[in-house]
Amino acid sequence: MPIKFSDVFYVYSPKTPFQFEALRGVNIDIKDHSFTAIVGHTGSGKSTLIQHINALLLPTSGTIQVDDMTITAKEKVKHIKKFRKHAGLVFQFPEYQLFEESVEKDVAFGPRNFGDDEKTALDKAHKALREVGIDDDLFKRSPFELSGGQRRRVAIAGIIAMEPKVLVLDEPTAGLDPRGAQEMMDLFDKIHQGGTTVVLVTHDMNIVLRYASDVIVMKDGAIVKVTDPLSLFEGDYEDYNLEIPNLYHFAKLLKNGGYQFDMRNIRTIEDMAKIIKGGYHRG
Amino acid sequence: MANIALGRYVPYNSFIHRLDPRLKLFGLIVLMVGIFIKFVNVPMNFIVYGLIFILIAMMMMVSRIKFKTLFKQLKALWIMITFLLIINTIVPNSGAIAFSIGSWNIYWNAIFQTLYIVIRLVLMIALTMVLTSTTRPLDLTYAIEWYLLPFKVIRFPTHEIAMTISIALRFIPTLLDETYRIMKAQASRGVDFVSGKLSEKVRAIVSLIVPLFISAFQRSEELANAMEARGYNPSGKRTRYRVMKWRVPDSIALIFVVGLLSGIIVLAALKVDFVAIIGNLF
Repeated sequence: MPIKFSDVFYVYSPKTPFQFEALRGVNIDIKDHSFTAIVGHTGSGKSTLIQHINALLLPTSGTIQVDDMTITAKEKVKHIKKFRKHAGLVFQFPEYQLFEESVEKDVAFGPRNFGDDEKTALDKAHKALREVGIDDDLFKRSPFELSGGQRRRVAIAGIIAMEPKVLVLDEPTAGLDPRGAQEMMDLFDKIHQGGTTVVLVTHDMNIVLRYASDVIVMKDGAIVKVTDPLSLFEGDYEDYNLEIPNLYHFAKLLKNGGYQFDMRNIRTIEDMAKIIKGGYHRG
Repeated sequence: MANIALGRYVPYNSFIHRLDPRLKLFGLIVLMVGIFIKFVNVPMNFIVYGLIFILIAMMMMVSRIKFKTLFKQLKALWIMITFLLIINTIVPNSGAIAFSIGSWNIYWNAIFQTLYIVIRLVLMIALTMVLTSTTRPLDLTYAIEWYLLPFKVIRFPTHEIAMTISIALRFIPTLLDETYRIMKAQASRGVDFVSGKLSEKVRAIVSLIVPLFISAFQRSEELANAMEARGYNPSGKRTRYRVMKWRVPDSIALIFVVGLLSGIIVLAALKVDFVAIIGNLF
């Protein structure tokens, strides 16, 4: 079942001088098994939006439907843990949420909270840790002995171990070096291939082009466009002050230079290389 | 975040907002002294408390503080009021008996004593709220530093203390944001901060405090490095971005509060009784 927002408003600190309307009438559908990227400027309401998916924030008005569960502004939410279990949310810089004495215990913390016994939780933790590429000999170490990149992987494993049906990521590659970012994104791609819905907030249009199946563009707390990456970069991305992905920029220059090929298939450097190679052989 | 907004600086531009922080701090202390002065008899006490309350209410109106926020803060006082009343009734007392429960006598004195403390507390909270919601924390620190200046003679590190206070104040909102962030992150991992058994609650708090401490230590180290990198020297002479200026309204306000306190002291010292005076008139 998809995630559906109907006319959702959210106001921070209502009725105070600090009042701020972060969401103004949001209507979206996030399809099952999609890889949805949410893009937009800082302060456009992206982070506020994703915190509604697992009921961390409750709408000021409007309804949100996740699976067969509904959140409305007026009713009190029952079974809030079901929402938390359904959608795993990875915050920005998640490495700051680690606290346990060992890596495996920290990752098992989520499953334990959702009622797994210690052994099942540790099994899930080990599986998730291997998935994110943490070596077995680090499992018993303190998370504070690890490097920044490793800590982030452990924190993400902590969410993956909960086996959520929807994985929500807020800028997961911020502050990572290009290679670390690439590995991180490949990991999420793999999880997506395994059938998990992925919702990703990002500023990096290269990532959007490479991985996303759908794109939601936000501005000033409202949804201004719902599309797919190729149509976005083909069309009016400039109207929303978005950057063009490097690869797409290159392809455009090539096409403007007179080289004829189908722009609809370029997502990775490999795609581009194939096209150029094919053209070369044609002569 | 709404529940922490009580007593927080609210950036309006009222007469009280514009007053010099030194004057506001001094005024707070002076009026508090006034609140604690006792008068000749019970009705007189209540009359003066009433007058002071009207004054504070006017200040709250001028600085655009909603009375609702004051009442919200007073909610927590109920436990204290009951506690005070119990203590005051247990302590042996004398004078007129208000009423008896069995052989247990409750004296008027005990009730009045409790009422005085409660009224004083309410007035003090209201006063402090006026100060903190009209003065930037940093300006308050400057005011404190200014009052500590004379102690420089005995090599008291006034500037360092003021700097420590201002850094602490500066980081309260940052740490609060951090707390909310970590709470949300742990809530996403299934932590329930509201309900749950005691053992679960302890774990919930540990999952919040450990990351919070780590990030606080990290922040302080980064801040210390950043200050040193920019050549910070605690004993160095420095100028300020915002200079405190004493203006005419400050002098008027100073005369007003000092006059008010003197008036209260005179009333108390001369044992003036409004009720008797009015009674004599008719």
